[in-house]
Amino acid sequence: MNKTALRTRRKADSAQVADFAPESMIELRGLVKRFSNAAGEFTVLKGVDLTINRGEFVSIVGKSGSGKSTLLNMITGIDHPTEGQVVVNATDIYTGVTESQRSKWRGKNLGIVFQFFQLLPMLTLLENVMLPMDYVDLYDFDQRPARAMELLTLVGLEKFANKLPVLVSTGQQQLAAIARAMACDPPLLVADEPTGNLDTRSADKIIQLFEGFVAQGKTIVMVTHDPSLTSRTNRNIIISDGELINETVSRSLPQLRHRHMLEFTRIVEERFYQPNETIISRDQHVDQFFMIRKGQVEVVLLDEKNKEYIVSRLNPGEFFGEIELLRGDTSIANVRAGSNPVEVLTLPRTDFLRVLQESPITAEALGKVVQQRLDEQRIADRRSAIR
Amino acid sequence: MTPIIELHEVNKTYSTAAGDFVALKDVNLEINAGEFVGIVGKSGAGKSTLLNMINGVDQLTSGEVFVQTDGKKLSVHEMSEDGRAMWRGKNMGVVYQSFQLLPMLTLVENIMLPMDLSDNFNPRKSKERALELLQLVELEEHANKLPAFISGGQQQRVAIARALANDSPILVADEPTGSLDSVTADHIFDVFEHLVSEQGKTIIMVTHDAGLVSRFSRSLVIADGELVDSQPESNLDKIFLRRK
Repeated sequence: MNKTALRTRRKADSAQVADFAPESMIELRGLVKRFSNAAGEFTVLKGVDLTINRGEFVSIVGKSGSGKSTLLNMITGIDHPTEGQVVVNATDIYTGVTESQRSKWRGKNLGIVFQFFQLLPMLTLLENVMLPMDYVDLYDFDQRPARAMELLTLVGLEKFANKLPVLVSTGQQQLAAIARAMACDPPLLVADEPTGNLDTRSADKIIQLFEGFVAQGKTIVMVTHDPSLTSRTNRNIIISDGELINETVSRSLPQLRHRHMLEFTRIVEERFYQPNETIISRDQHVDQFFMIRKGQVEVVLLDEKNKEYIVSRLNPGEFFGEIELLRGDTSIANVRAGSNPVEVLTLPRTDFLRVLQESPITAEALGKVVQQRLDEQRIADRRSAIR
Repeated sequence: MTPIIELHEVNKTYSTAAGDFVALKDVNLEINAGEFVGIVGKSGAGKSTLLNMINGVDQLTSGEVFVQTDGKKLSVHEMSEDGRAMWRGKNMGVVYQSFQLLPMLTLVENIMLPMDLSDNFNPRKSKERALELLQLVELEEHANKLPAFISGGQQQRVAIARALANDSPILVADEPTGSLDSVTADHIFDVFEHLVSEQGKTIIMVTHDAGLVSRFSRSLVIADGELVDSQPESNLDKIFLRRK
């Protein structure tokens, strides 16, 4: 093999160290991407801000054409933003960095897995896994086969190490592609529909592997259509029409259509409360829908002796105020911040009710929550009466 | 004229939990240099297995495969594993349905890869050659792009250029147009025809699409692991009608 040639061609200075929070693996700031074609100018990303921390397992979901592949291409340094900044693993990857520096940086920092595995047909699985080590010139020449074998063992393919890709199943090919992506021990793995053309069992094996990588501290960003996979990630980011959906909105109202989520994302207001601060008083008129972003919220009733009674504690991703909005009523309980500061997002009543009318499936899901909460309340009321 | 490829009584049997499965049965075949041969048949008939016997990717159960290499008749399955890999790298280009371009390398770097691996050309020469090959598949203007920025059909053309990197006399292709639309598939065929007529390459291509047979210089029909008859039309109809 002509290693020297590969090495010299890839040699480049280390890229710039950026201003960043040490716990963040990916920071996107004001990211805009515009394409021009014969039909005119088209904005694919419309000012995206996003922070992904080290050790997070994040899924990115979006309809075809929503901008998710473009977003991924920005993170991997494959495409260039029109405006904004991309910081990945402490490196500002587009400012003052040449294409060859970026390529070198990518080799050391990123593992990439695509839906269609790019194994080279003329190389065995072992040789395919060794390839990135040759490119980046990481690990001693003599250590590379052993390291590649370790990775193949990790993905359960040690028996097939010397086979050519065409002689193993598509699921096994994808496992080998994952082993290859991890060859240079990158801190970040980016996967685009990695289970897209696999059967359920193979897909499950791949997600288990990913969970193992995350347990070791790796960060994984995965684009997928499959809800059974998004449920296994720590965080689910939805992109719609070039904008990111507010994650508190999507967690609180997951049944909403993406366009409704996007509408809410644009109009929500933030509110901050100190520990134990009242958010809604009993009998107060409620004209907002509240979604919890951070902290715990307590729903409190008073018994006949005016003694406080906590009916329920609500956590991030849960909501309140819906009973009053739906019934056009005053609050049936006191709602206050728990023992830590609380951040909530609010929506105006009219917008909330209009979208519910357009989204029967959300209305139905909310209806169930309301019913359950009213039942809890009645039980609590009875209990306090007995006291 | 000595055939460039000869198969003598080739048999391939797979052992499965359900018993032995005969994938190829007593296959005898001669292919001459400069032929554009299509292997057609329905799914599971043994097309890909036959291809894997010719390029020595898979082991045969019995029989022999000879390929003319540097003026000598070489028995493919008698070489050592490593020897066969080396031989294949120099003598057979391979193209598969899924494109297998490395996502982090530009198109020109993808094509240079087999040359770097085989040490056949020095680095400057390999870049020149890669650019010439990109020109051949009419993609020279995209040379420095990453695969993500070109269409599926263009990626497949790059894969063909890569398969030609070491200037191997034989090209084997397994469903190379399988995931492409008909216009793009047509363009791939144009490239193959050019390679046969202008460069004297021998091409063996597997397809399940009976509509393509008119473009081969010869079609081999395979059914249940046996070569049925290489005379087209009537037999083809039988094979493909049976599928319906």
